[in-house]
Amino acid sequence: MDTIWLPPALVCYALAAAGFVWGRAANRPVSSDQAVPLLGAAVLFHTLDLTVGALNAGNIPVTNFAQSLSFLAWLTAIVSFVLIVRMRMQVLGAFVAPGVLAVAGAAMMLGHRGRLVIPDSLRSAWLPVHVTLAFLGDALFVVAAGVSLAYLVYESRLKAKRPLLPAAQTTPSLEKLDRINYRLLGWGFVMLSLAIVSGAMWADATWGHFWSWEPQETWSLITWLLYAALLESRVTAGWRGRRAAALTLAVFTVLVGSFLSVSLVFPGKHGGSFG
Amino acid sequence: MKEKLLIVGVNHRTAPVAVRERLAYADGEIVAALSRLRQRAPALTECALISTCNRVEIVGVATDSGRAIEEAIRFLATDRGVATEQFTGALYRFAGRDAARHLFRVAASLDSMVVGEPQILGQLKLAYGHAAQADTAGLVLHRAFHRAFSVAKRVRKATLIGRGSASVSAAAVRLAGQIFDSLGDKTVMLMGAGQMAELAARQLRNMGVETLLVTSRSFDHAVALARTLGGTAVPLENHRPYLKLADIVIGSLAAARPVLEAADFESILRERRYRPIFLIDLGVPRNFDARLNQLENVYLYDIDDLAAVVAESLGERAREAGKAEELVAGALASFMQWMDGLDLVPAIKDIRVSMEQLRDAELGRHRAWLAALEPAEREKIESLTRALLNKLMHRVLAGMRSAGAGSPDSAYTAEVARRLLCGDLAAEIPGARAQTAGLDLEIDLDPDGDDGDL
Repeated sequence: MDTIWLPPALVCYALAAAGFVWGRAANRPVSSDQAVPLLGAAVLFHTLDLTVGALNAGNIPVTNFAQSLSFLAWLTAIVSFVLIVRMRMQVLGAFVAPGVLAVAGAAMMLGHRGRLVIPDSLRSAWLPVHVTLAFLGDALFVVAAGVSLAYLVYESRLKAKRPLLPAAQTTPSLEKLDRINYRLLGWGFVMLSLAIVSGAMWADATWGHFWSWEPQETWSLITWLLYAALLESRVTAGWRGRRAAALTLAVFTVLVGSFLSVSLVFPGKHGGSFG
Repeated sequence: MKEKLLIVGVNHRTAPVAVRERLAYADGEIVAALSRLRQRAPALTECALISTCNRVEIVGVATDSGRAIEEAIRFLATDRGVATEQFTGALYRFAGRDAARHLFRVAASLDSMVVGEPQILGQLKLAYGHAAQADTAGLVLHRAFHRAFSVAKRVRKATLIGRGSASVSAAAVRLAGQIFDSLGDKTVMLMGAGQMAELAARQLRNMGVETLLVTSRSFDHAVALARTLGGTAVPLENHRPYLKLADIVIGSLAAARPVLEAADFESILRERRYRPIFLIDLGVPRNFDARLNQLENVYLYDIDDLAAVVAESLGERAREAGKAEELVAGALASFMQWMDGLDLVPAIKDIRVSMEQLRDAELGRHRAWLAALEPAEREKIESLTRALLNKLMHRVLAGMRSAGAGSPDSAYTAEVARRLLCGDLAAEIPGARAQTAGLDLEIDLDPDGDDGDL
């Protein structure tokens, strides 16, 4: 579902990503500052694109893999934009914006692949609730992975006695990155849990059973358990800092694997067949 | 006849501290010294005195800059009781553009021992205040100092020159800010009380650290230091339980063997639940086992690591200094243009005075019948003639400026205008009128000619 709004959104994503990366690499905070409104503009264009898509489809526009990518990129961009503005975390842009650009770009390239019509049986109020919760959880995990990556980069610089001192005012402290990572994981976990619960209730309402062990359900349960373990290790064993950041990235790769495999390799109800 | 800014003085590069301290003035002495300087250096029309631990400079304005500089040097020698030979080798003398550039660079902290250090601007403001108080600052110094302040502000805003850490203790505090988000809820432990360690502790206190533990070889010493810094003394032999509370540990004990070993730190980390800990080792030989840095969430910086951080930020400052020099060059160009415009001032003054005289003379000639008029009518005639004069002056000024300030044409135009309009000169010297008329005016006095936009 391409609209005329996706290309300008992509251009803004690209410019914002370039600004953030250049600001980080060349130690020019001004460049990162200029990238923030560009990211905002990208989110606006992307919102228009999705709104037009939703009006055309008559429901939330997540009917194929490309649209899923687009929706995920949009939510990730919103979460990072809020973090960048509210927490003054321009640095995050350099770690997340290129990823958003890649995912949104992939969405546009794949955009023309066959669009599916949502069967009437699934046209329900549960659809937007369940899908938004699930993707919001994913977006929070994406940003958490970006924060963890930033943590690992800065941490290794500090350990190697090569700290980024001149621009220290724009570099968040390790403690702040760790805390934000924890919060993102917490909220992501809440969203994932609610997505699973809402999915189960929807399944019960539609098919009469809560759980059918189809691929997406299984993978969701696995990632849910992994994130639960990650949060648990911090609370009980005090695993924080470097270890927490590395584990966040490890669990995130499992999440990416499940997202791709369910969508492309084992399409069950979620992957697009809507059987 | 042209007024010039000039600077004569010594700084940390040209003179050792032994010389600088003998030439230096205390803040309280400067106003009086400026009055003496004005008396003993008549060639100086305006003057100011900058005296900091890194420089002693006389900033002045004079038309005969060579003579003024010699007078200023002689003043310094006699006023401070230092033989001239002892410091002439270290003196630098700047006049005109060079003097302005020097003043701007000093203000922008480009001439400082630690490039980018912020104190110099305040010291210059103080020097300017003293000159204003002693009433030795005039048109040129007011302008020069204000330009210097504004270029300094622009440099601070537009470059990273003031960023980074210029001292080991400042670098330590910066690093703490890279690890911890807020220092308010952190605990600092001071092991040993070296001077640098104490300085770092003070700076951390200023950054908001609330809890400070002090331990030292002698418990009495620890207690005394804890009192001055506002902390709690801990006996050295019993410091281990406190380590799990500390987020920043500063070591400066004189010890042959490390006080903290990596091997037995693991258990402390577990008890701390792996909260990050920043170890600052200022001791030589080192207080903390170097392998501690390999432990999770432990950041160990020894004195050499900190010195490297300082060196890197000083290098960064040097790169930023290039940008600052460009800003100085821009400000310098506009200041010199303004200085050149000052050339016109004497001619304008002469013309003004002679025209006023003309008006007074005419009004004087008609004194008799003017006296017979009503006061209101007399007032009207007064204001009419004044308005006429002002309008005429305005045209003359515009014509002089159109030649382009500072250019040879401008000086020539000003001189021509002066000779044409200063009628008294012609009246006093017979034949002067003819002489003036003899200038080849027709050739050059074309305000709309090709030279007009020079």
